[in-house]
Amino acid sequence: MISQFFILSSKGDPLIYKDFRGDSGGRDVAELFYRKLTGLPGDESPVVMHHHGRHFIHIRHSGLYLVVTTSENVSPFSLLELLSRLATLLGDYCGSLGEGTISRNVALVYELLDEVLDYGYVQTTSTEMLRNFIQTEAVVSKPFSLFDLSSVGLFGAETQQSKVAPSSAASRPVLSSRSDQSQKNEVFLDVVERLSVLIASNGSLLKVDVQGEIRLKSFLPSGSEMRIGLTEEFCVGKSELRGYGPGIRVDEVSFHSSVNLDEFESHRILRLQPPQGEVRLTVMRYQLSDDLPSPLPFRLFPSVQWDRGSGRLQVYLKLRCDLLSKSQALNVRLHLPLPRGVVSLSQELSSPEQKAELAEGALRWDLPRVQGGSQLSGLFQMDVPGPPGPPSHGLSTSASPLGLGPASLSFELPRHTCSGLQVRFLRLAFRPCGNANPHKWVRHLSHSDAYVIRI
Amino acid sequence: MTDSKYFTTTKKGEIFELKAELNSDKKEKKKEAVKKVIASMTVGKDVSALFPDVVNCMQTDNLELKKLVYLYLMNYAKSQPDMAIMAVNTFVKDCEDPNPLIRALAVRTMGCIRVDKITEYLCEPLRKCLKDEDPYVRKTAAVCVAKLHDINAQLVEDQGFLDTLKDLISDSNPMVVANAVAALSEIAESHPSSNLLDLNPQSINKLLTALNECTEWGQIFILDCLANYMPKDDREAQSICERVTPRLSHANSAVVLSAVKVLMKFMEMLSKDLDYYGTLLKKLAPPLVTLLSAEPELQYVALRNINLIVQKRPEILKHEMKVFFVKYNDPIYVKLEKLDIMIRLASQANIAQVLAELKEYATEVDVDFVRKAVRAIGRCAIKVEQSAERCVSTLLDLIQTKVNYVVQEAIVVIKDIFRKYPNKYESVIATLCENLDSLDEPEARAAMIWIVGEYAERIDNADELLESFLEGFHDESTQLQLLTAIVKLFLKKPTETQELVQQVLSLATQDSDNPDLRDRGYIYWRLLSTDPVAAKEVVLAEKPLISEETDLIEPTLLDELICYIGTLASVYHKPPSAFVEGGRGVVHKSLPPRTASSESAESPETAPTGAPPGEQPDVIPAQGDLLGDLLNLDLGPPVSGPPLATSSVQMGAVDLLGGGLDSLIGGTNFVAPPTAAVPANLGAPIGSGLSDLFDLTSGVGTLSGSYVAPKAVWLPAMKAKGLEISGTFTRQVGSISMDLQLTNKALQVMTDFAIQFNRNSFGLAPAAPLQVHAPLSPNQTVEISLPLSTVGSVMKMEPLNNLQVAVKNNIDVFYFSTLYPLHILFVEDGKMDRQMFLATWKDIPNENEAQFQIRDCPLNAEAASSKLQSSNIFTVAKRNVEGQDMLYQSLKLTNGIWVLAELRIQPGNPSCTLSLKCRAPEVSQHVYQAYETILKN
Repeated sequence: MISQFFILSSKGDPLIYKDFRGDSGGRDVAELFYRKLTGLPGDESPVVMHHHGRHFIHIRHSGLYLVVTTSENVSPFSLLELLSRLATLLGDYCGSLGEGTISRNVALVYELLDEVLDYGYVQTTSTEMLRNFIQTEAVVSKPFSLFDLSSVGLFGAETQQSKVAPSSAASRPVLSSRSDQSQKNEVFLDVVERLSVLIASNGSLLKVDVQGEIRLKSFLPSGSEMRIGLTEEFCVGKSELRGYGPGIRVDEVSFHSSVNLDEFESHRILRLQPPQGEVRLTVMRYQLSDDLPSPLPFRLFPSVQWDRGSGRLQVYLKLRCDLLSKSQALNVRLHLPLPRGVVSLSQELSSPEQKAELAEGALRWDLPRVQGGSQLSGLFQMDVPGPPGPPSHGLSTSASPLGLGPASLSFELPRHTCSGLQVRFLRLAFRPCGNANPHKWVRHLSHSDAYVIRI
Repeated sequence: MTDSKYFTTTKKGEIFELKAELNSDKKEKKKEAVKKVIASMTVGKDVSALFPDVVNCMQTDNLELKKLVYLYLMNYAKSQPDMAIMAVNTFVKDCEDPNPLIRALAVRTMGCIRVDKITEYLCEPLRKCLKDEDPYVRKTAAVCVAKLHDINAQLVEDQGFLDTLKDLISDSNPMVVANAVAALSEIAESHPSSNLLDLNPQSINKLLTALNECTEWGQIFILDCLANYMPKDDREAQSICERVTPRLSHANSAVVLSAVKVLMKFMEMLSKDLDYYGTLLKKLAPPLVTLLSAEPELQYVALRNINLIVQKRPEILKHEMKVFFVKYNDPIYVKLEKLDIMIRLASQANIAQVLAELKEYATEVDVDFVRKAVRAIGRCAIKVEQSAERCVSTLLDLIQTKVNYVVQEAIVVIKDIFRKYPNKYESVIATLCENLDSLDEPEARAAMIWIVGEYAERIDNADELLESFLEGFHDESTQLQLLTAIVKLFLKKPTETQELVQQVLSLATQDSDNPDLRDRGYIYWRLLSTDPVAAKEVVLAEKPLISEETDLIEPTLLDELICYIGTLASVYHKPPSAFVEGGRGVVHKSLPPRTASSESAESPETAPTGAPPGEQPDVIPAQGDLLGDLLNLDLGPPVSGPPLATSSVQMGAVDLLGGGLDSLIGGTNFVAPPTAAVPANLGAPIGSGLSDLFDLTSGVGTLSGSYVAPKAVWLPAMKAKGLEISGTFTRQVGSISMDLQLTNKALQVMTDFAIQFNRNSFGLAPAAPLQVHAPLSPNQTVEISLPLSTVGSVMKMEPLNNLQVAVKNNIDVFYFSTLYPLHILFVEDGKMDRQMFLATWKDIPNENEAQFQIRDCPLNAEAASSKLQSSNIFTVAKRNVEGQDMLYQSLKLTNGIWVLAELRIQPGNPSCTLSLKCRAPEVSQHVYQAYETILKN
């Protein structure tokens, strides 16, 4: 049971404060939280904090702190889930989540909170359900145009580096759409996968796993059945066998509760009855580990020369992209932590569009675009001040100094899923009266979560 | 001064402006004004002056405006109670509005206005809303009952809202059910005994059905409620598990964890050789692994829970080591938790992989993480014996890096490895000594000093090394270690180090202000000067090996924490009582006991067939220092009860009598000292012991005392280094005793027996020491009757009749716990006068009445009555109603609690109905069990 909920700006100013149980403490609690959070020692977890019988649980989202407090032994999972749902909800209703939109829409936020939580009990967090109750219209700062699709970043897929600017459709509040009925006639379906890989220094693959999601966002005026056809060879679990080929195998699948699975077993079709109006939901989540059907997108071949005596460190990196030659990877960045105190860097890069620099004790090598099948290289030379000990081993060695590595890569692979899962079709079982066919956007994307290569 | 004036004027101006806008005729303007007021309220400005103006806006048919006004009211009603009353009429009116949204809004807001005065107006609207036709209103009203209960609990009870709430559990709308369950759970927590959430198979079934239909949040309430239910047998447990399992693949992690909690708890009741048990274990792993791909915050909470699960049931995740490998971009708190779990899962099968990972981590940049990784290598060495050698060489490699903090951590863990595997890896000492100069942390210095002292004979320059530490003795934070190490050195190499030891002793005793150091110095000094041989024995005594995993959570605490999976307790790894203030929700929870069938499958020798499940021995492992109460007691003669005064006198008599009996019985190896053990001052010198003998010979003898259960094994030999204890409880002529049978299944002779009880619900305590007068030789069995008193210290146990016992012999101390049948506590003067019975029956409130069915008991009223009478359950009156025999009975417990009973027997029908009334309803269940045992035997 939640006692209080508040939203703090990145500087700790309260934007929203709501008390559900008449607890003492009042607003000072928000200040207390911020003080406690900022004063926390490094290795202690900030997720759950405890102060005089009051427990703080928070997440950070878009630079804001969303915090709940409780004085009872409740489930931290439900609180964390609730906070992330609230972040989505507030984004949905206010257009986007940020300091500005929240303070412009205080009344709306309170109204939402009242419907989501009663006496600290969660009632519902579904956008569709809440639409029946919410009266206040969002205050939007600037008008939006739907056809600004030039920068169609995938709406949900926030990649690590290039925080894709949200497309205009995504930053449109769900409610204020009441007025313009004519424009919205679109469905977005994204298959997004996050790839985590760990490669040992000898090049052997230690761990690989893929977390995937199918996300739906629909702006259809009237709800009727929608059918999503997945790759027919899609297998769940280690033992299932389908089709003749190796199949698309995942370990675990979970579905949104509104998905009808009648045709899933036989034809791998998900049936969905999206409610009227705008909907955003994660239709399916899946994960697989260890067996990846396709080769890993990148291999890194590092070689390190270190002269302990002079403190000269030479790192030669060769990056090979093993995607098909018609595919490409975007926004590739290699991050290589360097030994403490590295001062200078000289570089030789294989192509001019690349860039490399020293940042926060690490080497950052940016490759805006890497074509499948290509190979790129970089030679980096640095000066490392020697350790305080006696310069005993004056010889040049290939042993790497302490603090070098591991290298991590971040990238995006458009039109590519690591699991091989594809959406075969997206069918809508209705014709909106008078209008042409709705636009259907089906997109596939993989991006890195943690792609680590040890050196 | 001027500044503040300036500010107040603007504020006034602002408020004035808002006031005007609020009183405007235009709705839009009003709405905007209220929004502005709310915005100011949020940033902390005081807008309470506008209260009347805002309340005036309340009477509107615009829902948006109404909601805004209600929002304002909620915030300021507390500080302006009189004003809030002004709004009451509108509230009451709104509760009857045709629009369900408005009805719900009104009842929700009224509940949030925490002003005492408002409650009297709230009752009527609330009663109507609880029965509203619209589910949205009903679910809001259900929560409102909880709100009202918090303000005025008595009122809620008087108005009968609780019953209405209970009815809502069967509502057709799952949302309503969920809120009703949540509200009832909360109310029940503040009244632990109220039995509000009366969970029975029918209501459980309803909840399970609602589970499939309601929202994810409702599912959490329901699952948490299910977790508090105690299934009656393993079949029921399994069927609930089967219906809960689909929740494991839910997208909401809170639902998943609540389901895991239910499953982990009910799994306790399932037999391990059941196919279903294995299936369930397999199903638990994937959802837990999935949680690790969530955001770091969720990952952290999940890892803390997995840490518990891994300790309880390592088999669930034993093949999933890889998912706990640390990712480079994990936050540090996630990394540290993963590291901990990796070590818990480490086994011979995967140790190579784990070590390779750990070595990798030890070269990262984050200092905290590197230190923990080095420590982890040491823990692996201690945990997995086969890997020790590899761990040591890994540590040596790390020492070669010469990175200061790595070296220091490595030395600390190597010290532990020495203590676990003595005389195996001492060859590395030379390498350690090379790094002496770089040690600047107290812990590492202390470890190094300990190593030098302990292995002084193998280190040629040990004296020089220690001398170098001694130079800065007064700034030294490791003075105690240094003192001990030098004394050890002296005992090993007395000739060269006399000077050194004198120096350190004088430094410690004369120049130090630290009393611990001084005392230790003096002890060594006197030891060395009076008896060097004794000193050697004391200081260089062989040390016990360190235990395998010192950081395991103590088992009883672990079991309790498993009941709290998915709650804050599982994140803090502390029971809720440690951090929840005010005692709300701090009902001690425990795992359900395993059923008889499963126990026998696990360790067949411990469970004699046919033993009732409740009496299964529950061995408390000796490990774990949190056993607290038990361990704090010294195992000597018991400190309670009058018999103690005469015990010394009896000692002599015991031997005489015991010997006499021995010779009487002669040839059999059956030693029977029990007669002797019954204290003479109890007035029944030929108590249980003799009647026991009588029992044995004739097999009748039931009328002389209450029913005695056959002896069950309480402590299997396997768990007590060869000592097997079985026993039962008896009550004879007013005295309770514990009849024990000790069997020595070890190869050595056992002596020096002693017994001690932990505090328990009824203050049971040994009334005399445990008398085993001859050493117990291998394969010998001895029977003892230990008289018990009920004047020991009292602590409520869970279950009520749980008794924790410690038994000591020359080998070790063993702990076990057992359940005693309640009828040993039924006293002889438990017959109540008829009038008294009638009055008391009426006086005890009806909710204290508990009803039970006793099946398969084809006795007539006469037989039942006489059978019960011999166990001190007295029939006060007897009636015949419509062909049924009604027996009205009374009994009294040793602590003065009266229990009244009505036993309904239908001739020809083998089951009878038992209704119990008692002011302490928690004993009812156990009294019922006593009835059943007595009637069926």
